[in-house]
Amino acid sequence: MTAPRFDELIHAPTRLSIVSLLGATEWAEFRYVRDSVGLSDSALSKQLTTLEEAGYVQIRKAFVGKRAQTTVRLTPAGRAAFAGHVAALQEIVARAGVDTRLVP
Amino acid sequence: MKPDPIPAGEAARALQEVRHRRDQVVGTKVVPDWFWATLGVLLVAFIGSIESEIPWLVATGSVVYAVGLAALIFALLRRGGPQIRNNLIGARGGLAITGLTLGLVAVGLGVAFGVHALGVPLPGTVGAAAVALAMVIGGPLLVRYLRRVMSSRPVGGLR
Repeated sequence: MTAPRFDELIHAPTRLSIVSLLGATEWAEFRYVRDSVGLSDSALSKQLTTLEEAGYVQIRKAFVGKRAQTTVRLTPAGRAAFAGHVAALQEIVARAGVDTRLVP
Repeated sequence: MKPDPIPAGEAARALQEVRHRRDQVVGTKVVPDWFWATLGVLLVAFIGSIESEIPWLVATGSVVYAVGLAALIFALLRRGGPQIRNNLIGARGGLAITGLTLGLVAVGLGVAFGVHALGVPLPGTVGAAAVALAMVIGGPLLVRYLRRVMSSRPVGGLR
């Protein structure tokens, strides 16, 4: 059971999308995250830098054949913060008795 | 009591976004359908070449298999995308993967020994063809089942 902890850094809409996406992966390619969330390279880099500075993500560059590949993963601290944030959201919703399936 | 940092409606929408992104990852075609067919063709070609007992064909078949398998894995890696979190698969998903693997072994051995008993030539190749067919059918079904399993998991869990 994860202790609820609302995280302002993660809750920002774009970062919530990025962290949620990464939360379901061991790692993801930069371009996959960019295309999935619908951001430009620079906008994603900016958000990832913010998350990296907080110790929430790790960015790795490698080569597959001759092609440079940048991968991103949540760190254990990032995963714990994300789990705590989701638990906090669930707690708020449960207290208010909102059915998330009915939210537009 | 401390007030909530955000209204409940906003929290609910955020949870929906978390779920939507998880489902987006789960829905990604990490293993495309052509993977199973290509693997099947390589397998049949390899076993067929070995069973031919013609030295140059055995050598060629082995090289084609090794190079083909490496190319297949490389093509998958080049597609990029995410490595889905292992814990999303869970025990049910693990059992399904084990089940398909054991099923393929059973089909291969069963068909090979069966046709051998009937005196059909190249029983190993026929067995491999049966495995390839089972992979083409069972592989995409397994992927679809795993997606359902992963989408049913709670979001945000640490483990």
